[in-house]
Amino acid sequence: MKLSAKYNRVTLIASIIVFVFTGVIYYSVIHYILTDQLDRDLEIEEDEIVAYVQTNGKLPQAGSFKEQKVSYHLIDPERDFERRYFYNDYFNESAQKIEPGRSLISTVKVSGKLYSVTVTKSRVESEDLVRIIVLITLSVTILLLITLLLINRFILNNIWKPFYGILLQMKAFNLADKNDIRIESTKIDEFAELNTAVATMSLRVKQDYRELKSFTDNASHEMMTPLAVINSKLDTLIQTETFSDSQGELIEDIYVAVGKLSRLNQTLLMLAKIENNLIADQEMIPLDNLIRQKTRQFQELLQLHNINLRTDLAHKQINMNKHLADMLINNLLSNAIRHNYKDGQIFIQLNDSQLIVSNTGLDTALIADKVFERFYKNTASEGMGLGLAISNQICNLYHFKLNYAYQNSQHIFTVSFLEGELQSYSKFGV
Amino acid sequence: MKILLIEDESSLRESIITYFTDEGNICETAADYKSAIEKVNIYNYDCILLDLTLPGGDGMEILRAIKKINKKDGVLIISARHSLDDKLDGLNLGADDYLVKPFHLSELKARVTAIVRRKSYNGSNIITFNEIHIDTQAMSVKIGDNVLILTRKEYDLLVYFIANHSKVTTKSAIAEHLWGDEIDLSDHFDFIYTHIKNLRKKLVEAGCKDYIKSMYGVGYKFENV
Repeated sequence: MKLSAKYNRVTLIASIIVFVFTGVIYYSVIHYILTDQLDRDLEIEEDEIVAYVQTNGKLPQAGSFKEQKVSYHLIDPERDFERRYFYNDYFNESAQKIEPGRSLISTVKVSGKLYSVTVTKSRVESEDLVRIIVLITLSVTILLLITLLLINRFILNNIWKPFYGILLQMKAFNLADKNDIRIESTKIDEFAELNTAVATMSLRVKQDYRELKSFTDNASHEMMTPLAVINSKLDTLIQTETFSDSQGELIEDIYVAVGKLSRLNQTLLMLAKIENNLIADQEMIPLDNLIRQKTRQFQELLQLHNINLRTDLAHKQINMNKHLADMLINNLLSNAIRHNYKDGQIFIQLNDSQLIVSNTGLDTALIADKVFERFYKNTASEGMGLGLAISNQICNLYHFKLNYAYQNSQHIFTVSFLEGELQSYSKFGV
Repeated sequence: MKILLIEDESSLRESIITYFTDEGNICETAADYKSAIEKVNIYNYDCILLDLTLPGGDGMEILRAIKKINKKDGVLIISARHSLDDKLDGLNLGADDYLVKPFHLSELKARVTAIVRRKSYNGSNIITFNEIHIDTQAMSVKIGDNVLILTRKEYDLLVYFIANHSKVTTKSAIAEHLWGDEIDLSDHFDFIYTHIKNLRKKLVEAGCKDYIKSMYGVGYKFENV
């Protein structure tokens, strides 16, 4: 639940309760005051009748005038009679209709006879008054509630805008991205504080990340020169004299190890480069041609393992860096060969939206979440475990999607272009 | 040929010089930016091997200086910077080739030989080794007067061998030369053997002497017999 919705609900419920409660009290108090006023009027009337009887020795004339009606009845003096106020309806002769009234019944003694006196006053006016007051109160209440809702909806949303702004930026935050988190201007202290906290945090994180990156970069660079020295010294060494067979094997092993080390180094440098988004120079690359060229390049390897390669290539142009496209196809293809068995199969399918490389290989599926992690490799694998990581990194750079699946004893790697192409089209306004 | 090696790492410099200094090659060296600029300005070379990270300045500036004074010297950049930008910058500035450290000396030799061949005015596109004549323009090979039909890989291999004649070349160097260093072939050097066997057979059948010598474990040597 959104904070504003929660807040809205609480304030709404609380104000409705308060308004109903105060409304009830308000109504009862007003009602009580008005009834009290009526009763006092009735008492005055009673006093006047009593005074009249005392001076004149007879009852004043019964009858109804204006909003008031007086009537007398002879009653049995033995009977217990109580003076009381009560509500009743009476016939208003001037208005010629039945109206609600408030009556006082009392007794008066005229020349030894006991009479009951009923004085009735119309309640219409006070009822009207109560109705108007209730109506006004109700409309004020409704108006207040509506205003409250509107304030919550518009003002609160407005107030929270910087919060959502910063949230959006945090969601889109990418360590490898160049752009930092912008500080949204706000007059609200809490949000200003949040903004600066987030901005400083992101800066600090990026700084640490950059340092780590440049460390990897420098370390790999610095390793290249000694590697070059080892390689050249070996090249010089083998020129000096003839070696025995076992010496030759030793030297070959050293060559292989040095070769692996330098390849590893170069791959790490490449990864850092891609992650830092330092690869520019995009061009339209005919992917089908590139794949054909690569399969020719891998011909000998395929023959060596007697692997049957089938392709189904539609013409497909793709906008990316030539070297990276090369590397991506290289990695996928050498992966499919490396993890294959003798007399195995490779199938490469290219259409407008996808490139699918499937190969036979191990009987068990690889762990899909880990396949693209650096240095993840099967125990049987002789590779460095960087090929797929770099492929994934290349795909990420162009917003392609690289997926792994294991189906019908085929390891299937799929590159989906769609999203990446949409993004690049929108970028160029096509 | 006359070569200038601009490289600050002394042991690497030594190895390269040793590899190049024979059969009349003249090798000069410069270890820093200043001496490199001096030598480049005064002398002419067939090929300049240029490291990009030098004490005292950027190797790229030396390349600019060479091009500014309109020198025809061939330039091969050797650098630990595997960055594509550097490669493109270097080639755009007029370098003839770009080799990333670490490299095999045999690969360096092959590239330098190719640059020098392209740059030289006299004679040009013909490589001759005893009875072997290669026209690099037409990519055709003759043994004496017999035309020899080779596959692309066999042709590359032969040119590579001749550039590195009398030197032991390793299997990994050959593999990298023929298939590029993007493909990790380190576990499958064996199929290089097939190509070499075929080349050898074709050469001998065309009446060529058997120059290719196998050095067990290490590699091969193309040598005058």
